[in-house]
Amino acid sequence: MKPSTISYTDGAKAGLANATLQKSLKKIQNGFGKKAMRHWQTMTDSDLRPRAKARRMQTLEHLDIVLAELAEKIREHGGHVYFAATAEDAVRYTLQVAERNKVNKVVKGKSMTSAEIGIDPALQNAGIEVVETDLGEYIIQLAEDAPSHIIAPCIHMDRFQIGKLFTDKLGHEYSDDPPTLTRMARKSLREKLLSADMGITGCNIACAETGQISLVSNEGNIRMSTTMPRVHVALMGMERIAATFDEHRELLQLLITGATVQKLSTYVSFVGGPRHEGDPDGPEEFHLIVIDNGRSKILADPEFREVLACIRCGACLNICPVYGRIGGHAYNSHYCGPIGAVVTPLLNGINDHADLCKGETLCGACKDVCPVENDLPRMLSALRHKLAYGDKYWQVKPYNRIEAAGFKGWRKAISSRKAYNMLLKVGRFLQKGRIAENGMISSMPGPAGKWTRDRDLKPLATETFTERWRKHHSSRKMEEKS
Amino acid sequence: MIDSTTAHSNEAKFLHTVRESLVPGAKEVRQKKDFLHIFQKTDCLQSVERIQQRNDLDFVNLIASFKENCTPLNLGVHRVRNLYEAGEWITQFARSAEPEFDIEKHIIQHAHPDTHELQLWKRLANDPITVHTTFTEDTEIAEKTRASFIGITVADWGIAESATLVQVTAPSRPRSTSLVPSIHIGILRKNRLLANLAEAYAMLQHNGINSSFTFISGPSKTGDIEAHMVHGAHGPREMHVLIVE
Repeated sequence: MKPSTISYTDGAKAGLANATLQKSLKKIQNGFGKKAMRHWQTMTDSDLRPRAKARRMQTLEHLDIVLAELAEKIREHGGHVYFAATAEDAVRYTLQVAERNKVNKVVKGKSMTSAEIGIDPALQNAGIEVVETDLGEYIIQLAEDAPSHIIAPCIHMDRFQIGKLFTDKLGHEYSDDPPTLTRMARKSLREKLLSADMGITGCNIACAETGQISLVSNEGNIRMSTTMPRVHVALMGMERIAATFDEHRELLQLLITGATVQKLSTYVSFVGGPRHEGDPDGPEEFHLIVIDNGRSKILADPEFREVLACIRCGACLNICPVYGRIGGHAYNSHYCGPIGAVVTPLLNGINDHADLCKGETLCGACKDVCPVENDLPRMLSALRHKLAYGDKYWQVKPYNRIEAAGFKGWRKAISSRKAYNMLLKVGRFLQKGRIAENGMISSMPGPAGKWTRDRDLKPLATETFTERWRKHHSSRKMEEKS
Repeated sequence: MIDSTTAHSNEAKFLHTVRESLVPGAKEVRQKKDFLHIFQKTDCLQSVERIQQRNDLDFVNLIASFKENCTPLNLGVHRVRNLYEAGEWITQFARSAEPEFDIEKHIIQHAHPDTHELQLWKRLANDPITVHTTFTEDTEIAEKTRASFIGITVADWGIAESATLVQVTAPSRPRSTSLVPSIHIGILRKNRLLANLAEAYAMLQHNGINSSFTFISGPSKTGDIEAHMVHGAHGPREMHVLIVE
């Protein structure tokens, strides 16, 4: 499903007004977020994160070689590898595979890359039934909604809404009991999983050395999607790869800790090709689609290359004070939270998603919790810088020229004592009559009104520190002398 | 279909773009042999040797740790003295457990010397329970797996730290046996227990990587509805490990 097309501000307001979402966000942040942070602080191998990050960056710096190695190994296993420069390329290839194999029904494991390239509508237009099999994603698909969290897609819905949805869409007798609802979905989806012709999944972390992709799930839907259908198509963002098996292990551990603080997820499956001769199950055809779709542009910019180290665990969502209030829909993107605030503008246009980097607080919690220690606050600041001054490489137009002019003037004013004093006087004059009972200014005229729309402003003091000093203590020096 | 030459030029172009992003202006394709350091493996032999030298006391500790880590996963763990006792346990269990999707009781087990020793078909000969084995010659394994309410596998390794079974795919050991039936029973020999994930990676590497293997830690579960934990999302809703000493 497409993310919503409402503005950041309206999305944020809607998120704040959604009581279910607020409750779930609190639960997730108090649980996963705090637990992950505690885990990093108390783990014995305290060098794990910096070590994994250094190897991750080394792999990214040799990505052409590592990807070539992965492709070679997978072909040795009998799998197909297709390199897709754009989302359209990836969609076209998938459709061709589906057509050649006369596919009628596709089951999907949760994959953000699949949402990024828009595979669902393309398959549906070709007359193919597409079923999401992760329970959360299935609920979202039935509700024709968009996911609001990386690993918990339907946290904005409560059991009553889900119960009603299952009654309306699946014709089940109403229930709002989570185990009963899960059983209903289990039954419906089992039928789909056992009868589908093609499974589409993402790829958590590929491994070049062994020529495999690995997939992590708790529900077992991804194992089903990669075992039962005749064809398996895996979609992989080109950066989701480890060079060696050893590097893979460390990233896997970091991914699972970052996401859910489990020791290991219920299922971690490694696949690298079709079934072998004599295997009674597993796909007859395996296709890996390696997707660029804007990533090489990020790779080429040393300022942002680091963001490709991300392993999409969602830990930053579980700790961010902004995401923790507004939820995922406000980000207008398949990638939400702090990671989304950096990746979305880089993939889809910095000007088009200007609100995201400005909405974050730069508090640094996302960097502290990140398993690969990505400096998201630094990159958010870099994006703001580009919005303020423009950027040729990223084709950024300065976001707001009036604001820029304002700051230019401000810089002049505060570097001259005289001008500053005068501004203070003007300010004090203007604020007269605007100070409310609580001692704050709650409305300002003109464009400044935006500032006070959602918060109060402290008025200027009637005297500055210098003025008070002069008044009360200027005689002190002389007293000391005498 | 995209033919192989188009796919090949397509790949070259893609990798060229990636290379341009990293080393602008480089004319030559970068070869693996010039960058061997990025593929440098850590030597797994040391770990393998250490694992092979474990004594009885080590295994007592590993079993205790495995058991402890099973509890939060809702994973049943049972210690049996030998495969005969394991067969006894499974027989009793199969008689009392109820199928989820069917009325008839079918069991599917991996074709493995250890499952052979369970002698389930003999033990259950007088019960209304059918036992299937995943012999490579059998062309109806898929149907039999779907009909089964219990799937029995023999784990290649167990990981104590996370209560995990490592299951390597082989012709007579299909993936669906541990996945499609509602109840999964894993047989784990004591000396196949490893301490942690790093040891499992070392053993896998030492034995040569097959194209497919799976780590399984407990029954399938989901917390997608209001973070309420429910077991049995798509995979087995119940799982037991029999540790054979």
